[in-house]
Amino acid sequence: MSETLEQTRTRANGVGAAALRKEDDRLLRGDGRFTDDVDPAHALHMAIGRCPFPHARILEIDVSAAAELEGVQQILVGAEVAQRTEPISVLRPVPGAPQLPYYALAGEVCVYEGQPVVSVVATSRAVAEDAIELIDIDYDPLPHVSDVLEALADDAPVLHPLQLSSNLLATNPQGNGDPDAVMAAAHIVVSDRFRINRVTGLPMEPRAIVAHWRPGARELTAHVSTQVPHLVRMQLAESLRLDEGDVRVITSDVGGGFGLKLGVYPEDVLACLHAIDLRRPVKWTEDRLEHFRATTHAREAVHDFAIGADADGRITAMTNTYTTDLGGQNSPFGSAQLSSIVFTGPYRVDDGFVQRRVALTNKTPVGAYRGYGQPEVNFARELLMDRLARRLGIDPLELRMRNMLAQEDLPWRNPAGALYDSGDYRLALQMVADAVDYDALRAAGRERPDGRRVGIGLTSFVERTGYASAKFLANRGSRYGAHESVTLRANRSGGIDLFTGVSSMGQSSETAFAQICSQVHGIAFDAIRVHAGDTGATPLNTGAFASRTLIAAAGAVSAAATELRDKTLRIAAHRLELDDVDGLEVDGDAVVVQGDPSRRIPLAELHMAAIIGQGIPVDEHPGLEATAHFEPEHAAYAFGSAAAVVAVDPETGDFEIERFVLVHDCGTMVNPTLVDGQVRGALAQGFGAALSEELRYDADTGQLVNGSMLDYFVPTAADLPPIELHHTEVPSPFTTFGVRGVGEIGTIPPGAAIANAVCDALADFDVQISRLPVTPELVWRELQQARNRSETP
Amino acid sequence: MEDLIEITVTVNGRAVHERVPARMHAADFLRGQLGLTGTHVGCEQGVCGMCTVLLDGEAVKSCLLLAPQLDGHEVATVESLAPDEGLAPLQQAFKEAHALQCGFCTPGFLMTATALARSGRTLSRDDIREELTGVLCRCTGYENIVTAVDRHINGEHVDV
Ligand code: FES
Ligand code: FES
Repeated sequence: MSETLEQTRTRANGVGAAALRKEDDRLLRGDGRFTDDVDPAHALHMAIGRCPFPHARILEIDVSAAAELEGVQQILVGAEVAQRTEPISVLRPVPGAPQLPYYALAGEVCVYEGQPVVSVVATSRAVAEDAIELIDIDYDPLPHVSDVLEALADDAPVLHPLQLSSNLLATNPQGNGDPDAVMAAAHIVVSDRFRINRVTGLPMEPRAIVAHWRPGARELTAHVSTQVPHLVRMQLAESLRLDEGDVRVITSDVGGGFGLKLGVYPEDVLACLHAIDLRRPVKWTEDRLEHFRATTHAREAVHDFAIGADADGRITAMTNTYTTDLGGQNSPFGSAQLSSIVFTGPYRVDDGFVQRRVALTNKTPVGAYRGYGQPEVNFARELLMDRLARRLGIDPLELRMRNMLAQEDLPWRNPAGALYDSGDYRLALQMVADAVDYDALRAAGRERPDGRRVGIGLTSFVERTGYASAKFLANRGSRYGAHESVTLRANRSGGIDLFTGVSSMGQSSETAFAQICSQVHGIAFDAIRVHAGDTGATPLNTGAFASRTLIAAAGAVSAAATELRDKTLRIAAHRLELDDVDGLEVDGDAVVVQGDPSRRIPLAELHMAAIIGQGIPVDEHPGLEATAHFEPEHAAYAFGSAAAVVAVDPETGDFEIERFVLVHDCGTMVNPTLVDGQVRGALAQGFGAALSEELRYDADTGQLVNGSMLDYFVPTAADLPPIELHHTEVPSPFTTFGVRGVGEIGTIPPGAAIANAVCDALADFDVQISRLPVTPELVWRELQQARNRSETP
Repeated sequence: MEDLIEITVTVNGRAVHERVPARMHAADFLRGQLGLTGTHVGCEQGVCGMCTVLLDGEAVKSCLLLAPQLDGHEVATVESLAPDEGLAPLQQAFKEAHALQCGFCTPGFLMTATALARSGRTLSRDDIREELTGVLCRCTGYENIVTAVDRHINGEHVDV
């Protein structure tokens, strides 16, 4: 389909142009509309009382003192909520897992610190919070477990004894060939256990909802900060036992989502329930301490990975059994599901086996976060690739090249069933090597005059973007599809209104969609007005996650723009008294006759004619509007390689990332500026998770130790290393224009590249790293361990 | 009901007389009482910088101030920057450098950069990086924000 692009002319702000963003002016002027900015008259405010223990039975809740506080309007407890609502639905269930229904408020037992137990609505937030303090809850703390592997031990307290006999929710094996036999016969096997840190995406805008019920109209209007307004609508209707037609979800600007704002949270259901009871708007905005305990965490996993190879370093088998931490209960998306699909990376592996185990612990529920399993598995595999190279005495660059799929091998199906579409993986790696001047760095040696050691760390990866069709999802019980949709409606000013259910959360979809619309239709970019995120106005869609928006939406926008353009041209031909549309095109603000610019009809005139149904061909219906849905038949696999150059002090473990180079491919770039922006942003989150971010739980109390911005360290402007970006641009054969997703790729390489660089720098000391984050303290400890190893014969 | 305190503040050049609850913080006052929702709240702990405004010309975190403390002072929020139509040069620099994505942090950076630009100091790119550490951004990776501020303060560079 990439010809489509070449056949059409280049447009000023069409596909491939570095168009300035449509979203910017309002946001720069302080005129964005985030959910907390919605401030209806007579609004009431909600506050939530949360369980302070990781695991506890609720013995008694005494709300009498709170109920008497002036300004308190309503208090809800778990028993009433369970009676009046349905459990919150899981959008992407773990295949093969029994249902673990959960309600907006805890029932008899709380399974994580921060779980909502009571909700209060009052005339102000301050009063509601005061009321929470007055509620007396008698808890009986129960034995808890926070470590993901300990949770699977025989003597671990079982979190959900009604549904499960252990804390293992499900096991999902996938594979191909006979990896066990091949591994047993391998010349060399490298294997290790890798621990991935629990982190959080920490969008700058907290979660928020403003709910309003009009009983006479039977209409619930909910302003929600979410990535998926249409899915939230479905979930709210289900939980509240309303028809979907009774619910309208409006999402204006979202201050970052990153996977954390996917679907309904307990507080959303509660705010709506209160609003229905009280018949007044109810508003809730999470505070940051709540955010750290009640908004989904991510990534925590333990990977057991093994690679078998022959004496030349050719990989013969790969196996990966890993356990992800789901936390205390489900969330709409649950723990990472994409480690399995890309576990073999960009390498040719015929015999492979991967198995995911999902464990429950008494911690905050885990959900999606940018990358969704791909940074985790990349860390394990790529660290082992370097160890394999070292053991065999082969250069890590050469080892990767030797095993990497060649361009002509693609399309290729990996042992987990992923169909890699296209790309030149080796070229990307070579470009990285050239950019860091690999050979010269190697030749210069590891030792620096100042005593530090310098190392180069490589990593190569593929990244799944989008979904392989609704059928694929349906087989896994997903409650959403793989399509995107758009409505284009001509307006009487000569412009086009573009309606999309994709909310704007920083991913620049308003700009990208308008670029595609302008490219295909011919109308000026500036004449397109995007209306996003209101379920009452936009066609039903899927949402903004899984790097899937553009992959699916490019097809929908393209189809709708084609339909609208063709009708516009037919009306123009009629009015110009031409037999057909040959030689006509839309050019900015008018339809013109090619080669005769004096013959033109303004779009405003054509739109008006179509809308009032006058002066149009007899066989045309009035109106100028098109809705299109598009579902890609396959996912697209983005790919890339990265290198980190790191100088390490072998005495203290302190290190400095001197360079970081990434070469990646996201297919055809709709807007190269936006692509770089997405990559840089995801890299920053990748560096945070690789270097400083970790949610830590106290082993004794089971409580979150560092749940505030004061002690959870995300990168600031001064914390990031110098980053160099390069692209290749191989179009995907599976998508409109050949695009691939780009939002998540940057989260993948930092951890592996940095750890490999540190180990490379300290190769003389035989230091091994097997966990994230990589801190100077960890490096120092590993140095001590390595020294002890070498001293004990 | 809580006691209300009367205050007089100059906000974005206009004198405002308001009655505020004693424990209301300044960010809530600007947002809730004056409707200036361009100032955002991200942590209420003085860490994230979303709530940064100018107090008598200096960038401060308005979540750490109580509304009564504003009495007699001058406050400028992001709403003061742009002319009636279009963008001020600093805002334009942000737009051209793609220095914002979700835009939630943007007012904090704009106000911090406004104070920096008015200080008249010479600032290298690294200085700018340091000066911006009081505002967090989770979307952009900062590089483009640094570029926008650098261009605004130091003019367009040929080298990158
Ligand atoms: S809200 Fe003021 S610093 Fe975060
Ligand atoms: S642009 Fe989203 S937090 Fe900065």
